[in-house]
Amino acid sequence: MDRPIAYDKLAREDRFVRMRAREVAELRVEQGLPAFPDLTTTESLRERVHGILVGELQAMEGAGRTVYDFPDTPWEFTMDMARQVWDESRHVEIYLGLLEHLDGTVGDFPETTILWRCACAEDAAARVAGVNRGLEGLACDVFTQLIHVAATLGDPVIERAVDFVLADEITHVRMGSRWLNELTRGDPERRQRAIDFQQSIDERFNLGGVRHGGGREEVGISIARDARRLAGFTDEEIDRLVQSTQRSPVY
Amino acid sequence: MTSELRGAPYSVEVSARRIRHYRYVEERMTRTMAGWIALTPELPAKLVLGRHVWDCAQHADAWGKRLPELRSPAQRSEPANDGVVRFMALVEAPDGPDQTAERLVSVYRVLKPHVLAVYERHLASANRVYEPPTIRILERCIADERRHVVAATDVLDRLIATDTARARVDNRERDLMHALEEAGGIAGDGDARRLSMEHPTGAASEMKIDDGRFEPSRLDERLRETIEAVGRAAAAGDASVLEEFVVADARETLVAAYAGANAAAIVACARIGEYRIVKLRLTGRSGGPMLQLQCRPVPDGWRVADARWVGEAPAL
Repeated sequence: MDRPIAYDKLAREDRFVRMRAREVAELRVEQGLPAFPDLTTTESLRERVHGILVGELQAMEGAGRTVYDFPDTPWEFTMDMARQVWDESRHVEIYLGLLEHLDGTVGDFPETTILWRCACAEDAAARVAGVNRGLEGLACDVFTQLIHVAATLGDPVIERAVDFVLADEITHVRMGSRWLNELTRGDPERRQRAIDFQQSIDERFNLGGVRHGGGREEVGISIARDARRLAGFTDEEIDRLVQSTQRSPVY
Repeated sequence: MTSELRGAPYSVEVSARRIRHYRYVEERMTRTMAGWIALTPELPAKLVLGRHVWDCAQHADAWGKRLPELRSPAQRSEPANDGVVRFMALVEAPDGPDQTAERLVSVYRVLKPHVLAVYERHLASANRVYEPPTIRILERCIADERRHVVAATDVLDRLIATDTARARVDNRERDLMHALEEAGGIAGDGDARRLSMEHPTGAASEMKIDDGRFEPSRLDERLRETIEAVGRAAAAGDASVLEEFVVADARETLVAAYAGANAAAIVACARIGEYRIVKLRLTGRSGGPMLQLQCRPVPDGWRVADARWVGEAPAL
């Protein structure tokens, strides 16, 4: 088995349709739809849940590759990544159940491979910064909003299930913070490259320009300050993220 | 009490060495299974691997933590011999997208049943007075490994439903057993037996099986008819039908795709608003290439707005 594998080796059943995120967003906008599903209809909720499902799948695959690709990292790092594989496999099953709950099926919407591409970074420190802190941080924002929408709709199934997933994501961000520090100890240049990679992800993956600071009722996706603080983000990091979303182009 | 202190086959040093051998196998199995997940297309197989990676990592960790209690450095792995290294390399080898059955057979029909036999034998001979820390780890590992084999059996059975597939994995199993016997088992002591669990019963599988296929009933009937008409026109070079249903830029790709293809099966259909992205697998062409069509509704039906190969276009 190669270490690492090329990103186009990601294996899928035929029923998945894979497309670039930018193209999907353009085709949506062309039809007068928001670039990113806005949760105002059942179809958009279904599409969001499907998008999260494939994200969880890629997170499981990415964590698995990290276990395989870096045999020389500390054993505890391998243990954390192996644990994450298991967590993500449960998340996949949870979102498969939620998709069914919403009368959807696997393959109903295109899969984009944003997360997987980040998970193919060649440096372990960049992977944990980009995936665990950047994208799992983003998941904290998205899931917090989904829980809020489910509570508003009176759907306890989604509300409870996603809350458990959110708890895991906070743990994964903490793992990312720990290993970003430990893997780059004594190597400030490597640390900076990893942080730059994470920040590029924060800036690029702005969910169609809907993620902002502000209350849940005011913006499409509110940056989840409380969840992020619990996960170990500093107020300075959260403020910088709020600023970066304000200048991001529509993805 | 004195009699209970007799009858342990392994000294402290031998126990530690044996545990380093176990840890080598558990660690390597953890990494291999984890690395395979991304390379495995079938969702149930992906999930079964995803569930078990963490258990295997915990087994390696438990053995690694036991080592300092036996006057050996913590978390050290040590293969029993070069034959075990070769055997584990053979286990890891099948990494192609069409080798999921080979991967599962390697781990769930050969490696884990053998590990189970080794652990069971160790457990049966371990001294109940001074080896409880080892016994507890063995008991936990045995329970997990049994559960893993049961869970994977259902998934594997789906993958080897044909005689050809069964013959392929039988060959694989034979090669692996040969390598395992040459190594003298994972502990290198000449015992390469496996626990017989080929048709495990009495334990419910933990996997909810999904056949992974597209449900054609979810496809709009008019869209299906349009795609079939377009396919026939592309195969026959019927320009007037293609002009009616396909935008100019996509016609050439469609005609090239259907040249030499016996049939095209719709294997996926994804929604983007009112648009549909339909994926076709073309049979009769080398590699069974796939084509993705972007279809848009028009007042009298559907029109193909884009056609592209999935992955690299095959050589024409």
